[in-house]
Amino acid sequence: MDRNKKEKGLDVLSGKIDNKLLTNLNSCVRCGLCADSCMFFKALNEPKYIPARKVALVSSVYRRYFTLSGKIAPVLVNAKELDDHTAEEMVDLLFGACTMCGRCVKHCSIGVDIPYVVRKGREMLAAMDMVPATLQATVDSALTTGNNMGIPEEEFTGTISWMEEELIDEMGDEKARIPLNEMHKEIFYTLNPREPKFFPLSISAMAKIFYAANENWTLSSKFYDITNYGFFNGNKAQAGQIAGNLYEEIHRLRGKKMVLGECGHGSRANRWEGPNYLGREYDFDMITAVELISGYIKQGRIKLDKSLNKELVTIHDPCNLVRNGGLLEEIRHVVSSSCSNYTEMDPHGNENFCCGGGGGFLAMSEYNDRRIKIGEIKAEQIRKTGAKVVVTPCHNCVDQLSQLNHTYKLGVKIKTIAELVADALIIRKNN
Amino acid sequence: MATIELGGKVFEIDGDGFLTDPAVWNDEVATLFAKADGIEEMNDKHWAIVRIIRNNFEEKGNAPMIRMICQETGLKLREIYELFPLGPARGACRVAGLPKPDGCV
Repeated sequence: MDRNKKEKGLDVLSGKIDNKLLTNLNSCVRCGLCADSCMFFKALNEPKYIPARKVALVSSVYRRYFTLSGKIAPVLVNAKELDDHTAEEMVDLLFGACTMCGRCVKHCSIGVDIPYVVRKGREMLAAMDMVPATLQATVDSALTTGNNMGIPEEEFTGTISWMEEELIDEMGDEKARIPLNEMHKEIFYTLNPREPKFFPLSISAMAKIFYAANENWTLSSKFYDITNYGFFNGNKAQAGQIAGNLYEEIHRLRGKKMVLGECGHGSRANRWEGPNYLGREYDFDMITAVELISGYIKQGRIKLDKSLNKELVTIHDPCNLVRNGGLLEEIRHVVSSSCSNYTEMDPHGNENFCCGGGGGFLAMSEYNDRRIKIGEIKAEQIRKTGAKVVVTPCHNCVDQLSQLNHTYKLGVKIKTIAELVADALIIRKNN
Repeated sequence: MATIELGGKVFEIDGDGFLTDPAVWNDEVATLFAKADGIEEMNDKHWAIVRIIRNNFEEKGNAPMIRMICQETGLKLREIYELFPLGPARGACRVAGLPKPDGCV
């Protein structure tokens, strides 16, 4: 391997002393409890997929270059050279066999933050210019165009006007709006670009909810993209540049509160990681759409008729919003308020399995077969519930679940939370 | 490079099953890919959608917005999702021989 490339990778580990990294690299006791928590190991049944092995891979490289024993007698301490072979193995296991769902952390006997180590490994690979091409293409699109699907502004604006006309029709109210680029609004709302590009029903669903709540809100036509694939590719500088788009835009429009659309990683990347990427605290509020809607229901700002959603509903918990984001109760409050009956998957909540498309996996064509294979676990969870509708507040999960629905012939409908709520709304005309 | 054999012909595809070389696409290829997705026969509505996507790709290098597909064909959104059960991206764009769009699709 080129010396310069190797040094770039190792710099990620050497940098300034990172106590969190050192602790996580050196604490695994190889108890093996993480094995059965991992979809990759369960579905593909090879020891290399055990989460502890992924940690061991990164720590063996660390030992080789940054410990005395590893420098003198690498074989004795199982220290690994960072060569082409190791780097390829890292790409395959850290990008290609981990959705960073964090389920293994819950089951780890000593609480090693395994996705944190995986992320460090990804940072090394990013520094070495070894990010899978399809994942990097999604990041590049966001960097160059301001959204990860490269939608030109006039096409976005055209779509929003079209959705607004439909809203006016459906509400029977000329004053129904989907506001664009308005200043000083209570809420600055964000979207996943797949909504305007291909699946705009979730935009009209949210617009109906805002209409019913008589909310004072706006979208931006320039920067509305909630996603941040810099969270996945391991390039912090790129993650920071993408996070800066929404940060600057809410300031430009003097918005009061940023509401994060239904996107798991985007919510996490903006709400929890964003200040670290940007190196500054937010001076505005930020909440997810789920919390916003839950608040509307509690405050009586929207009224729902559960009987309008009669089919049995089940909930898919997006890892970044539930296990890693704490929204377990809020999601259930909204769903149980919007449908006649819902049932839980087994397991569910913090123990739920990933959809199989997290961690940037859905964007990486390189691992399509694996993604569909591990998704069988989720497909069987869904099938066992007997539900007709699967609700999840994450567009990435929606897409993976739709593919599983088709591949494993589940015969269910996949909906966002806003779509479920919008179908149960009792609409009064706003004056 | 992965390949797929459909109707006795071999096509090079990416990991998601999209054609590697959009230039080898023609109507017959569309029919074969559609069949693989469970669309037994392409009707006029399927073709109208595929043609608009294909033309947009040839002119601008990417897939059109769903709004354009709806407005040009006069079809309702929900109809498009029914015609292509895998959706406009993984369903219709794949049948139209485009590369997989970036993002959460």
